[in-house]
Amino acid sequence: MTKRYMRAVAAIAVPVCLASAPLAAADKQDLQTILQEVKALKKTYENRIATLENKLKSLEKKKASAAKPATPASSSRSIKGNSFNPSIGLILNGRVSSFSEKNSEISGFGVGEEGERGKEGLSIGESEINFSANVDDKFYASSTVAIVQEDGSDKIELEEAYIQTLPDAGLPDGLRLKAGRAFWTLGYLNEHHSHADDFADRPLPYRAFLNKSFNDDGVEISYVVPADLFIEFGGGVFRGDDFPSGGSVSGLGAWSAYARIGGDIGDNQAWRLGAYTLHTDVNSRATNEDSVTFIGKSNLYAADLRYTWAPTGNAKDKEFIFQTEYFHRNEDGTYNDSNAATGNVNFDDSAQGWYAQTVYKFAPSWRVGARYSQLLAADTPARLTGSALDSAGHDPSTMSVMGDWTNSEFGRLRVQYNREELSNGKEDNQFILQYIMSIGAHGAHAF
Amino acid sequence: MARMHFKGQAMFRNLSLISVLLLGWALPAPASAEVRIFACEPEWAALAREIGGDKVTAYSATHEKQDPHHIRARPSLIAKIRRADLVFCSGAGLEIGWLPLLMQRGARAKIRPGTPGYFMAAQHVTVREKPAVVDRSMGDVHPDGNPHIHLDPRNILPIARELVKRLSVIDPDNSAVFTANLKKFDKEWGMTLKQWEEEAHDLKNMPIVVHHRSWSYLIGWLGLREIGSLEAKPGIPPTASHLQALLKKAIAAKTRAILRTPYDQAAPSNWLSERTKIPALVLPYTVPRDAKSGTLKILFDDILVKLRQANVHP
Repeated sequence: MTKRYMRAVAAIAVPVCLASAPLAAADKQDLQTILQEVKALKKTYENRIATLENKLKSLEKKKASAAKPATPASSSRSIKGNSFNPSIGLILNGRVSSFSEKNSEISGFGVGEEGERGKEGLSIGESEINFSANVDDKFYASSTVAIVQEDGSDKIELEEAYIQTLPDAGLPDGLRLKAGRAFWTLGYLNEHHSHADDFADRPLPYRAFLNKSFNDDGVEISYVVPADLFIEFGGGVFRGDDFPSGGSVSGLGAWSAYARIGGDIGDNQAWRLGAYTLHTDVNSRATNEDSVTFIGKSNLYAADLRYTWAPTGNAKDKEFIFQTEYFHRNEDGTYNDSNAATGNVNFDDSAQGWYAQTVYKFAPSWRVGARYSQLLAADTPARLTGSALDSAGHDPSTMSVMGDWTNSEFGRLRVQYNREELSNGKEDNQFILQYIMSIGAHGAHAF
Repeated sequence: MARMHFKGQAMFRNLSLISVLLLGWALPAPASAEVRIFACEPEWAALAREIGGDKVTAYSATHEKQDPHHIRARPSLIAKIRRADLVFCSGAGLEIGWLPLLMQRGARAKIRPGTPGYFMAAQHVTVREKPAVVDRSMGDVHPDGNPHIHLDPRNILPIARELVKRLSVIDPDNSAVFTANLKKFDKEWGMTLKQWEEEAHDLKNMPIVVHHRSWSYLIGWLGLREIGSLEAKPGIPPTASHLQALLKKAIAAKTRAILRTPYDQAAPSNWLSERTKIPALVLPYTVPRDAKSGTLKILFDDILVKLRQANVHP
């Protein structure tokens, strides 16, 4: 089998070899020309491909350069640089007031400038500019500047400038630290900016005991307890420059503490109850246009209660709010009324003040409210008789009613009537018409 | 001065003693094994219960008759968020007026934005009506788009899947339970969805008027035709002139129903209904807060029944 196979292969191979030898000899030149032609062909094709490739490359380049102007970087305003800017909010507040009494003095109390009755006629109230933002992952910062008119010229007041820790700051859960200048935790209203108030002016105890609000320089710590009931307590240390302190020498002249609890009743009612104390070292506190001076210690104790009821659960549509605060102040030191030439008079006594108010929102844009506030002056030491600190047995009081219209969350118009009897026999009938508008960022209001 | 400082120190000592006592009273309750979920809205509390089963406790900050845009940062909510392991909300700006304040006051590190404990559902679905430009004159527009995402039932599954991821990070021991619950829910929801879509076939192009744009996702899912909204601008109460204009449009389009949520004002839709004889229809916006009487399935069943009734009997 294999032999026959080998023979067959040989039979085919030999004649092929014999035949190819003369063929190669004859067509050697033809083959060379063919090879040359193929080489030439190859060259032309290579050239053509190269030119095509070049054309493609230049087309791609053109396309890329044509696409560039369409990218937003150059065609539209880049706002990336603004995205890290702080939130900016502006509160505009203006009013027109009319008073039936020419003068307004709260008898029996040394009252600071901001605790006084506002200006009569047309005026703009505090216009506030607020900047706020997270500093980084650990801190939040906020600053509120108020432009106020005092003694006929515009002044800039730094109402708040503080930093506050964020949940990421590494403090234990529920613990927060606030440092700088702020409306510190003291009663209900003090923490809030006055544009958020339900009435056009602050109630009497705030005017007499806090000169409208306590925003000294300081540090405050607060802690929310992990419990079903809302339980919070905290306290702070302050410089001791702001009313009720004054003229800080040590730079560490006041401290505070507070505790409060709160919760819900059913689905649509909420409450919060608080107790507060503020102890200050008063090196020199000038009031009543600098005629009255107090030096000594001032201890303030306060309690507040706030209750809200939204019948449908939607406070936006209908809501009833009841709010009350009580203040007790004990002062130990010396009073001096230069107008009455009393000289330094020893003083160690207590005064009280309170207010209660209800506000009822009966339609989404409409609210009405009533407030009563009263001060109970300390007994007048004999040597202060006839001075600004002589209450003459009178307890200053104010009855207020208001109505306001809220077009949106950002704009509100209010009309208010006050009947004030701040000193004996002087009944002051006041009408106030007020607008409060906010533009830009506007943080949510706390409870 | 010296005396005052001395007294102050004594007071401080007393205060810190009180603090320690208070802490001692509040803390010993051993951290319960369940994952505590703070849901901003009842629909998310309901979903959390479906997926979490008995391994979670879900609290809803709002109830079914409340407008989730406008909630007060009440003390009770601060207390709830103070102890939460997971915050589960719609996001897209719906809770912008109150959630940040609660988060700030509660100062809870494990639920801060960027952590698994901070779960905004809208980030995991396609948000509708995202405006190109925003200005306050346009009303209460949400710069991040329409946040009422739960009313498209197709959005529920991707959110449920993300929830399982979050829960598994927070409570890895029960990861298998969450995954098993999801599997079951996924299957059931898929089947129900098919059924709803078959049933709701005749609702396609049903002309309706809405109060607020709370229904955009439902409209998108069912293919309803929105003729207009009672609010000329979102969040701004309807005005007489706008309602007059809408009246003609609504009649011309043969509108079948005027939709509103239980928390929208009734007066504008009643006004339009009286003049056009188009029925004013209160559709449930979400499930009841206590989940015994409501689940997401019942919510959509209810919505579909009411819509089909309105469509059949104009």
